[in-house]
Amino acid sequence: MRNKLFFLLSMLAVFAMLLSACGTPTPAAPAQPTEAPAQPKPTEPPAQPAPTEAPALKPGDPLPRQETLYFNGLQWGPVVCWNPYSSNCNNAMALVAGDNARVTMFETPYLYNMLDGKQYPLLADGDYTWNAARTELTFKIKKAAKWSDGTPVTAEDVAYTWATHVKYNTGTGAGNKDYIEDIVALDPQTVVIKAKLDANGKAVNPLIVSAYVSSNYVIQKAWTQKLEQRTGGDAAKFLADTAEDVVFSGPYGPFYADETKVVLIRNDKYWGQDASMWGKLPAPKYLAHAIFKDNAAGFAAFKAGEVDVSQQFNANIQDLWLKEGLPVSTYLPDPPYGIGASLPTAFFNLNSHGLNLVAVRKAIAMAVDYDTIVANAMANQSATFKQVPRSLMNPTPGEQALYDHAAVKDLQWAGKDYEGAKKLLDEAGVVDTDGDGWREYEGKKLSYVATCPNGWSDWQAAIEIVAAAGKEIGIEITTNYPEWSVYQTVVTKSDAPLPAGYDIFMMWSAGAGPTMPWGRIRNLLSSEWIGQPSNWSGNWGQYKNERVDELIKAIPNETDEAKLKEMYTELVKIYLTEVPSFTLMYRPQNFHAVNESVWTNFPHQDDGTNPPVPPLNLIDGWSIAGLYNLTLVK
Amino acid sequence: MKGYWKYFLNKLGWFVITFIFAFVLNFTLPRLMPGDPVAAIVSRLAQGMSNATGVQAIYQQYAELFGTNRPMHEQFFIYVRNVFRGDFGFSFSQYPRPVAEVLGASIWWTIALQFPAILVGWIIGNTLGALAAYLKGGFDKVLMPVSIFVSNFPPFGMAVILLAVFGVTLKWFPIAGGYGFDLIPSFSWNFIWSVFVHYQLPFWSIVLIAIGGQAIGMRSMAIYELNADYVKFSRFMGIKDRKIIGYVFRNAMLPQITGLALSIGTMVGGALVAEIVFSYPGLGYTLMNGVMGQDYPLISAATLIITIMVLTANFVIEILYGIIDPRIKAAQSEQ
Repeated sequence: MRNKLFFLLSMLAVFAMLLSACGTPTPAAPAQPTEAPAQPKPTEPPAQPAPTEAPALKPGDPLPRQETLYFNGLQWGPVVCWNPYSSNCNNAMALVAGDNARVTMFETPYLYNMLDGKQYPLLADGDYTWNAARTELTFKIKKAAKWSDGTPVTAEDVAYTWATHVKYNTGTGAGNKDYIEDIVALDPQTVVIKAKLDANGKAVNPLIVSAYVSSNYVIQKAWTQKLEQRTGGDAAKFLADTAEDVVFSGPYGPFYADETKVVLIRNDKYWGQDASMWGKLPAPKYLAHAIFKDNAAGFAAFKAGEVDVSQQFNANIQDLWLKEGLPVSTYLPDPPYGIGASLPTAFFNLNSHGLNLVAVRKAIAMAVDYDTIVANAMANQSATFKQVPRSLMNPTPGEQALYDHAAVKDLQWAGKDYEGAKKLLDEAGVVDTDGDGWREYEGKKLSYVATCPNGWSDWQAAIEIVAAAGKEIGIEITTNYPEWSVYQTVVTKSDAPLPAGYDIFMMWSAGAGPTMPWGRIRNLLSSEWIGQPSNWSGNWGQYKNERVDELIKAIPNETDEAKLKEMYTELVKIYLTEVPSFTLMYRPQNFHAVNESVWTNFPHQDDGTNPPVPPLNLIDGWSIAGLYNLTLVK
Repeated sequence: MKGYWKYFLNKLGWFVITFIFAFVLNFTLPRLMPGDPVAAIVSRLAQGMSNATGVQAIYQQYAELFGTNRPMHEQFFIYVRNVFRGDFGFSFSQYPRPVAEVLGASIWWTIALQFPAILVGWIIGNTLGALAAYLKGGFDKVLMPVSIFVSNFPPFGMAVILLAVFGVTLKWFPIAGGYGFDLIPSFSWNFIWSVFVHYQLPFWSIVLIAIGGQAIGMRSMAIYELNADYVKFSRFMGIKDRKIIGYVFRNAMLPQITGLALSIGTMVGGALVAEIVFSYPGLGYTLMNGVMGQDYPLISAATLIITIMVLTANFVIEILYGIIDPRIKAAQSEQ
């Protein structure tokens, strides 16, 4: 027996050696700048721990708990690369460009704050300005901004980043080149973004141009050139490079990544400790994310205090503090616990028999029991439609203020209105003529399949409730759940009518961002997506309305707020009248629950921060400000 | 020996034919699944992209890169050529990681978990089964029902029970990961110990179930052999019990060895349940994600490794049988 145990232990020792050899630890600290930061130290003492004094980690030492902020729900598989030009790095702790860009390692000129809808300067110095014709957007780069190799961030870096995106046809390049003509550096500090102009000499879409500055990283020109040299101008190689040597400007850099975790380490020479930005370093020295294989494992670790910030759906999260007395909290103390930002939506296939009738679509939408969806599918982590009546806007105050609530009041429905739905159908002549309990239209029974991807349990719960509503009003709705790999192929093929079995189907909508709610409305309703063989934008039910298209085209160039409100109100009216799709619940941009066993002072509603820090896990957009406010419990 | 040579060539021929068919199926079957893997990659890229032509351009770019826009037979020949160079291509689901790297990163975890678990389960199970057959009485009466009960436990159930009892309630063992959530791999006692304790629950969740099945199989085989004529004859001859038991278990062991070889052959498929329940790193979960994400190169490579291992294990066993088992040897020499 002893021999066996010895054998087992030796096996493990060998195994451990193998693993430690397999890992890809990156140097703890990037190459340090030769010159000291330009600005003097802030007057306020930095938040603990003392940044530069922390001794290096010795082999076998655990990451110091009091210097490490642990996350879950962001990284679901091993990190693939560190290449900021690639969208395929599966590197959630470092690389998520977009409306609320993740700014731990790479930085955007501005930070978007979903709570007030504003963009705050990060690499940029002061607000950006438009020229009178709204065709050129100008901003300056902060003098203090430095790369991790100590060289200054310049306007030339911004311009070269854009040129590279276009040259290699990256997601950013392909996605923006219809709206941005060029980005140029006037001098080392000044950047001008030239909008693409339409036939009338007006910018095609100034909204997308201004969103660019908070949605896309600035990447170092010198490093980009090194990468180009290494990959010899081959676009595929350029985008597939793992970029272990990448130079970055953010407060954190790579420390360790393998199949089980990813750890970032603070760059203690980070330029942002300059008085012109944060005035200090972010509190945690390490940001770590263990890779859990499902929500249950992540939840167990969160409960055990091994995770501080949880970005995963934890059902009945309130039980953790109400029943178990754990130091866990969410952004709001009561339901819906977070701020809804996106609108998971059920789309109608407008080519299905009977679904071309507004009455049938609206009747189904009116009969759905949304309160049950909110309670069951979302465990009350969504506002109800009584709290936030349906429109095209998410529940943030900024978006809610953009339409005239009184003007659309009569069109809004809160759900479970069986009588109203039946009346609507009866009036439209959609009645049960053969007495089988199901309604017919043009002599054919109304029978639909409602669907969503298999295993997406919250969506499946919602779809079941939609199906149940059909039964109440005499419309047969059955459910079917194909695998995601099949589902996405079918739903995004917009160059042909949807096949049978996809009569009512769920997809997402855009969340909070600088182009919202315009971007979301465009995704939901614009007919420009019809005809695409691979449509990842929206309007999957293939709805077409010329007036809607006109409004979507006009809004980005409109600056008069009263007019904008009018236009948005009209869009909401059309949407609620024609019902090409309907929102089933509100979903937060990120789930954001925190365990305050080690760290505290996380963002909460009315926490006194100004501008308010949004609940986006302290790493996305303006929410990174939260990292500077954290303190230790003891 | 001529007969044996013929036997060997015969088996080798079948090995090659089976391999060719399996190789073609490894390539074809994943690609017959409905759905489009490039669409999934584009979906990741297209998040936040606001123009339609951009998305189409990206789609074309990746379809071209992965060759999914070519006819299937062309893809096959490219695949064959690359495989013979040892190149399995890029993984779709973890692009731009090459398949070899994806497999390389998790295969050690899988082997380190599965190999000892299969071996330990096999040894304990067979010993218990043999003892039950030999000792009979109370031991057998207790062991049999327990083995049947345990071996029919769904692996998921066993893993969750171990997790709930020893991880969550008693807190004896950590519940997730391959090593401490706060550690960085290094050659230190701290890390080795962490790997050791994290290993326990996934390991026993596999071993416990394996023991039951092996014990039942071994017990039946041993009882059959104990009643065989040669045992009775040996007893009449006055041969010592110890020696007879040696004969009996050697014979009873043969089918069990085949089972062991097959288990070792398929172990590369990973211990999916243990991996998911304990968030343990390994190939099972990677492969499952590959299947869900229609990662053809990854699926083909993993199944090819499994095919080769199973076929080789089978081949070796058959060749060894030809040498060890007198009946097969006799059959060959008659021909």
